[in-house]
Amino acid sequence: MNEKDFEKIALEWAIIEAERCLYCFDAPCEKACPINLPISNFIYFIKNKNFKSAYELVRENHPLISIAGCVCPEEILCQTECTRGKIDKPIKIRELHKFLTEYFCDNKNLSLPEYKYEEVAIIGGGPASLSCAFYLRTFGYKTVVFSDTELGGIPLKEISNLRLSDETLKRDLDFIKENFIFKFVRKRVENLNEILNSFKAIFIGIGLSDEIELEVLGKDKEGVFKAREILRKIKRGEEIKFGERIGVIGGGNVAFEVANTLKTLYPDKEVIIIYRRGLTDLKCYPEEFERAKKLGVNFYFESIPIEIVGKEKVEGIKVTQVSLKEKDKDGRRVPKLIENSEFIIPLNNIIIAIGQKLEETIFPEIQKENGLIKVDENFMTNIKGVFAGGDCVNGGDTITRAAKEGKLAAFKIHEYLRRI
Amino acid sequence: MFKLRDLSIEFLGITLENPFILSASPSTDELEIAINGLEAGWAGVILKTTSVEDNPVPLKYPMMSSFGNYSKRVLGLGNIDLISKYHIDEVEKRVKILKEKFPHKMIGASIMGSKKEDWQNLVYRLRKAGVDIIECSFSCPQGSMGEAPGRMLAQSVQATEKVTSWVKEAAENTPVLIKITPQVTDIVEVAEAVKRGGADGITASNTIPSLLGIDIYTFEPYPTVFGYSSYSGLSGNAIKPITLRTIAEIKRNVDITISGNGGAYSSRDAIEFMLVGASNVQFCTLPMVYGFRVIEELKRGLSHYLDEMGFKSPSEIVGKTLEKIKTNEELIILDFVKAKIDEEKCVGCELCFVSCRDGGHMAIELKEETRVPKVNEEKCVGCALCMQVCPVDAIKIYERKINIEHYYIRK
Ligand SMILES: Cc1cc2nc3c(=O)[nH]c(=O)nc-3n(C[C@H](O)[C@H](O)[C@H](O)COP(=O)(O)O)c2cc1C
Ligand code: SF4
Ligand code: SF4
Ligand code: SF4
Repeated sequence: MNEKDFEKIALEWAIIEAERCLYCFDAPCEKACPINLPISNFIYFIKNKNFKSAYELVRENHPLISIAGCVCPEEILCQTECTRGKIDKPIKIRELHKFLTEYFCDNKNLSLPEYKYEEVAIIGGGPASLSCAFYLRTFGYKTVVFSDTELGGIPLKEISNLRLSDETLKRDLDFIKENFIFKFVRKRVENLNEILNSFKAIFIGIGLSDEIELEVLGKDKEGVFKAREILRKIKRGEEIKFGERIGVIGGGNVAFEVANTLKTLYPDKEVIIIYRRGLTDLKCYPEEFERAKKLGVNFYFESIPIEIVGKEKVEGIKVTQVSLKEKDKDGRRVPKLIENSEFIIPLNNIIIAIGQKLEETIFPEIQKENGLIKVDENFMTNIKGVFAGGDCVNGGDTITRAAKEGKLAAFKIHEYLRRI
Repeated sequence: MFKLRDLSIEFLGITLENPFILSASPSTDELEIAINGLEAGWAGVILKTTSVEDNPVPLKYPMMSSFGNYSKRVLGLGNIDLISKYHIDEVEKRVKILKEKFPHKMIGASIMGSKKEDWQNLVYRLRKAGVDIIECSFSCPQGSMGEAPGRMLAQSVQATEKVTSWVKEAAENTPVLIKITPQVTDIVEVAEAVKRGGADGITASNTIPSLLGIDIYTFEPYPTVFGYSSYSGLSGNAIKPITLRTIAEIKRNVDITISGNGGAYSSRDAIEFMLVGASNVQFCTLPMVYGFRVIEELKRGLSHYLDEMGFKSPSEIVGKTLEKIKTNEELIILDFVKAKIDEEKCVGCELCFVSCRDGGHMAIELKEETRVPKVNEEKCVGCALCMQVCPVDAIKIYERKINIEHYYIRK
């Protein structure tokens, strides 16, 4: 099948799927979408074969639309709310969205206002920052983006090519870089004072770059890695030498991303997820768990690591089993050690994926709470004119949520600047 | 495996094993295809319209285009076909072969001529060949031959009567059907002319003159004959409502046997045609699109319907609906007709809200807490627009004073 044929099939599929959409008024799918994409409208446009206009609608409403089409966890967002699901099956909204961005990417004929306002600084180059830059530009601001790495953030550095191709990524990044960013400064801003005088407003969207360490004995042994470090290496195509049995510690999306990527790249190796709570406590998207099961990832639930064993290299992990009876104040079940239940899971490598945190020393002048940047309802930090959003504020969620916070912050910045 | 009930029905002295016939069409234009159709279980065929030997039939290809939504379901077919390229000499032979092979099926043939002697000649020769029924095409949208070429014969009341009488004169005891067009000012006048002319029945009706569509990039109309087109005959499900009205209107005013034709796509459609007065139903587009195998759905569907409703034979349903068709003036005016939403069924699409807001009487209100809208009875006039758009049939219309509920499942 050549590419043209494939496109044709996608087209037919999209129309048939779009015809199932009820075109709900005040559609619940849109309300469930963190960035409120005009879903019912773009689907209605697809149904009428008006693909280009459909693409324009999504593009105008989401700066990282191609990326979101690939990685948005639609089953926990728009699709769960789809009215059609009450009749038979929900509309495959993300697939339609992806279809649009793959086949109808057309960024010509953009209409942007003249620059009419001052420069705004944006620190960080991930989804929240890019989204903030996008909307500020549409209001007429010049945005100056500071980032010590290439623009793109987690999607660029860590989401595996298996889920998000370079080509898709490039579509969004080029679109934003070319049209919405006035100046890109490749520089690490560590202290706000460096730039505080040059800008009336600053947005911080630096994400969470540090990883939480697993406090166990033997954590420095050879063969122990951090999850995002592994993801970055894979993304860069670096060769990593793994043994036959790889343990991944954690139960969130990053743990599953690592496990699923490794199992896909090395189907012959054994990949085991070790998680201290149970199946029902997993923090990953159901879709990722299903994917892991299908790929043949193994699981040890209710097991808390207490020591990484081995001479110099990892040979295994000693875990204690727990019982999960009582709940804490958030309703989460608290793991309680079961005495004399220790055993060793033999492993050649261990990947730690128990969470991310803000760099401890970054922006000492900014108030933090629970290791995250603290903002008020206007996304403003304790320093006037300094705003923040995305993972560094919300603790790490979807790309679409980060984009949404960047968007909301842009509105607030506009409000703030036009009022002072 | 399961037993079907007896579906036979009388039609102008012919016993049809079921009420489903292949109409004059490509499906009956090749002997072998017609044989396949009859073998598949169709009760009869009307061979594609034939003419005298010296009548040229300049066919143009491609001749077909379709109408539907963008997912390409064929809801309607548009053709610029003419009558058969096979003349009467060939058709005579076929009638003989078919009659011999299928003595218990109805073998009909369709004719078109220009002069009186052509029409009558065609009839004599078909009769001699043993045809069961003769249908006269007075309604090919590509036009008739003869006096006013390009115009449909059945659009002229006088011509209809005159030509019918020529045909009937020659046909004697062989039943004659006149195939008319709904594209006239008064279908009743035409039907009366058919009756005065002496025909035994009417085939109501045919394809409808149309323009199927246009390629908006090349400006070529469909079906495009390498860039150009002409008006085409629309058939298939898209024209069903027009045919239903045509049959009903004739049957309510003229006492004549009707063969329903035009837009039937399923056993349900066929039943509807019969309910307004057709004694049988002809099919063309449905088997053209999906094949002769569709006869199975038609037969089983009708059989179960008759069982469910307690009818003994298909003839019992013919015309059942007619007494319920009134003129607008005759319909009663009720004063408390309102919409009612079944909260249990509602899935919360709020389509009723938006259509009533923009096309009804702004009588549906959204509620804050749920997505189930609420009807404001003060404002609602009971127009039933909301009922049409509800995807789950959660809306009924009721009349409070006489306490009746009206509610239908959309087809
Ligand atoms: C391609 C094509 C050719 C047809 N040719 C004839 C014909 O020669 N004579 C005739 O009386 N009707 C002809 N018809 C009309 C059909 O017999 C039938 O009346 C019409 O298609 C409506 O029925 P349907 O909706 O079931 O198709 C033709 C229809 C089609 C689609
Ligand atoms: S909720 Fe589902 S059916 Fe309704 S508009 Fe959204 S996609 Fe369409
Ligand atoms: S019946 Fe008509 S007026 Fe009443 S709620 Fe429905 S659409 Fe509105
Ligand atoms: S159209 Fe039907 S399902 Fe939709 S909101 Fe109205 S009553 Fe409910």
